Amino acid sequence: MSNALFLQLLTGLQLGAIYALIALGLSLIFGTLGVVNFAHGALYIMGAYLAVVLTDQIGFIATAIVVPLALFAFGVVLERGLIRRFYDRPHVDQILVTFGLALVIEEIAKWIFGANNIPYDTPPWASGVAFLHEYLPFLEGFVVFPQWRLILIAVSLIVVFGLFALLQFTRFGLVVRAGMREPEMLKFLGVNITQRFGVVFGIGAMIAGIAGVFGGPITQVSPEVGMQLLVPSFLVVVIGGMGSMTGALVAAILLGMALAFTAEIAALQQIIIYLVAVVVLLTRPRGLFGKKGLVE
Amino acid sequence: MSGRTVAADLRRDNFILLAFTPIVLLMPFWLQLIGGYEALATKVVIWMIFALGFDVLLGFTGFLSFGHAAFFGTSAYVTGLMLKHVTAEIVPAMAASFIVILILSAALGYLTLRRSGIYFAILTLAFAQMLHAAALSIFQGWTGGDNGLTMSTRPQLFGIEMLDLNVFYVAAVILVVMFYVAQRIKRSPFGLMLRSIKSNSMRLQYTGVNVQAYKQMAFMISAMYAGLAGSLMVIYEPYVATKFLHWSTSGEVVIMSVIGGVGTLVGPMIGAAFMMFFENVVQAFIGEQWKLVLGLVFVAVVVFLPGGFMEALRRLRNRTTGAPGSPGATAEQPAE
Repeated sequence: MSNALFLQLLTGLQLGAIYALIALGLSLIFGTLGVVNFAHGALYIMGAYLAVVLTDQIGFIATAIVVPLALFAFGVVLERGLIRRFYDRPHVDQILVTFGLALVIEEIAKWIFGANNIPYDTPPWASGVAFLHEYLPFLEGFVVFPQWRLILIAVSLIVVFGLFALLQFTRFGLVVRAGMREPEMLKFLGVNITQRFGVVFGIGAMIAGIAGVFGGPITQVSPEVGMQLLVPSFLVVVIGGMGSMTGALVAAILLGMALAFTAEIAALQQIIIYLVAVVVLLTRPRGLFGKKGLVE
Repeated sequence: MSGRTVAADLRRDNFILLAFTPIVLLMPFWLQLIGGYEALATKVVIWMIFALGFDVLLGFTGFLSFGHAAFFGTSAYVTGLMLKHVTAEIVPAMAASFIVILILSAALGYLTLRRSGIYFAILTLAFAQMLHAAALSIFQGWTGGDNGLTMSTRPQLFGIEMLDLNVFYVAAVILVVMFYVAQRIKRSPFGLMLRSIKSNSMRLQYTGVNVQAYKQMAFMISAMYAGLAGSLMVIYEPYVATKFLHWSTSGEVVIMSVIGGVGTLVGPMIGAAFMMFFENVVQAFIGEQWKLVLGLVFVAVVVFLPGGFMEALRRLRNRTTGAPGSPGATAEQPAE
C-alpha cells in the first residue's frame, strides 16, 4: 500500500470519527425519543468550552471524565424540564424548541468567551506526531500522523463499541431497542419507556460532550463550530437512514473518506458531502439503512 | 373551522388590507416616533416580504424549511451581478433573479419535498449550506467570497435613483401587493388544498389529489417571495454578503414567523418588524446580548405560546370581550 493512500484513509477515518460521535448521539435520540435535536451541536461546544476551562484547573484526564458526566446530567435535566413537554406536539415544534435552545447556548458561549476561536491545547503527552513507519512495516520511509488525531480515532472506537454493548447486552439496552422498533407494543407490555428517555437523552448529550473534549482541539472552539458540525452530522444521519445506528456509523466513515480523498481539489471538497447526500437520496430515499415507515 | 361564511372572511381580509396599507406606507414616519430611523423601515418591509412568503409554506402546508436563505441569497447575488455588470436598472435585474429562483426552487423542491417533517427541515438546511459553501469556493470568482459583492453604481428604476425613501416606496408597494396575493392564495381553492396538506396529507392523497404538485407549487411560491426580498435587499443596500446564504438567515425568518404566529400572514410580518426593531433599536440599550434575549423569547414562545403574538392578541381579545374560548390555533394542529 502506498503511503499517500494510507494517510488518506487515516485522515478519512479521523474526520469520520467526529461525525460518527455527533451523529450517533443524534441517531440515538431520534430513534428512541423521535426528536431531532438541533441543539446537538450546541452540546458539543458546551463540552469543548468546559474542557478548555477545566484542563487548566484539574488536568486533562480528570476533565475527560468530568465533562461527559456533566453533559450527561445536563442532558437529563434538559429532557425532564423541556424536551418532555414536546413529545405530544408536532415534529416541527420539536425542531423549533431545540433550535431555540441551540441559539441560547451559542449566545451564552459568545457572551462568556467572545465570538472568536479560543485556544485549546492538547495535553503535552499527546501533542507530537506518531512515527507510523516504526509500527507498520508495509509503509515505506518516513510516515507521521498527529498523535491527537490517532487518540480521537481510538476514543471514537471505544465510544461506538461501548454504546453498542450497552444497547446489545444490557436490560436497559433491550428496552431502548424495543422502544425504537415498537413503542406501542412496549407500552402494552407494561414497560414505561418514557421514564428511560431522560437517560437516553443524557447519553446522547454525554457522547456530544466526549466529542467536544476530544474533537475541540481539531475543530477549533468557537460558538459557530457547533452548527458547522451539525449540518454534516445531520447529513450523516440522513444518508445512513434516520434512526439507524449502524447506518450513522457507515455514513460517517463514508463522508470522512469522501472528504479525505477530495482534499486536493479544494472546490470539490467544499461540496462533496452534499453531492454524496444528493446521490444517496435520489437512489435510496430512506438512506442506506433506513427502515420503512419510521419517518414519513 | 368556525361557522364564518366565505363572504365574511373576504370582508375581514379587505378590512385588514385597508388598515395594513396606510400603516406600511407611513412606516418611515411612525417608526421614528418609537426610536427607529427612516432607513430601518425599508429593511423591515423587505423582511416582511420574506416572512410573508415563508408563511405560505410553513403556515399553510406545515413544511418547515431551514434553507430559505438559499433563495434569499441566490437572488441577492443574481440581482447584484446584473446591477454590476449588465445594467443599473432594477427591473431586468429582478426579472433575471426571478427566473433563476424559479429554476432553483423547482430543483430544490424536487429533491427535498419527497419527504416531510424532519427530513424536509434537514435537507433544506443542507442544500442551503451547500450553496453557501459553493459561494465561498466554486463561485468565488463571481461572488467575491468572504469579501462579498460590492456595486459601484446606484440602482435605478426607469432612471430614478434608488435612494432612501424611493427604495422604501418601491418595497412597500411590492409588500402591499404581495400581501394581497397571499390573502387571495389563502382564500382560494388552491390555498384550501395547501392547508389540507397540513392537516392530513395522506387522506388528501387518497382522495386522488396530486399532493406532490401542490407542495411543489407552495414551495416555489414561497421561494419567489424570498427571492423578491433578496433582490430588494441588494437594491436597498448595494452589497451582497455571504451571510445572505448562511443558515442564520434561514433561522431568522423561522424565528420571525414563529414569534409572530405561523399561518396568520399578519403574524410573521409583525414578527419581522419586531425582530428588526429588536436588532436595530433595542440593541442600543441591552448591547450584544440582544440575541440571547431574542433566543429566550423565541424558546418561551415555542413552549408557552405556540400561536405566537397573534395567539396572545386573540387571547387578550377574548378576555376583554368575554367571548368563549375559541379553539383558534389549537384547532389547526396538524395530525401526523
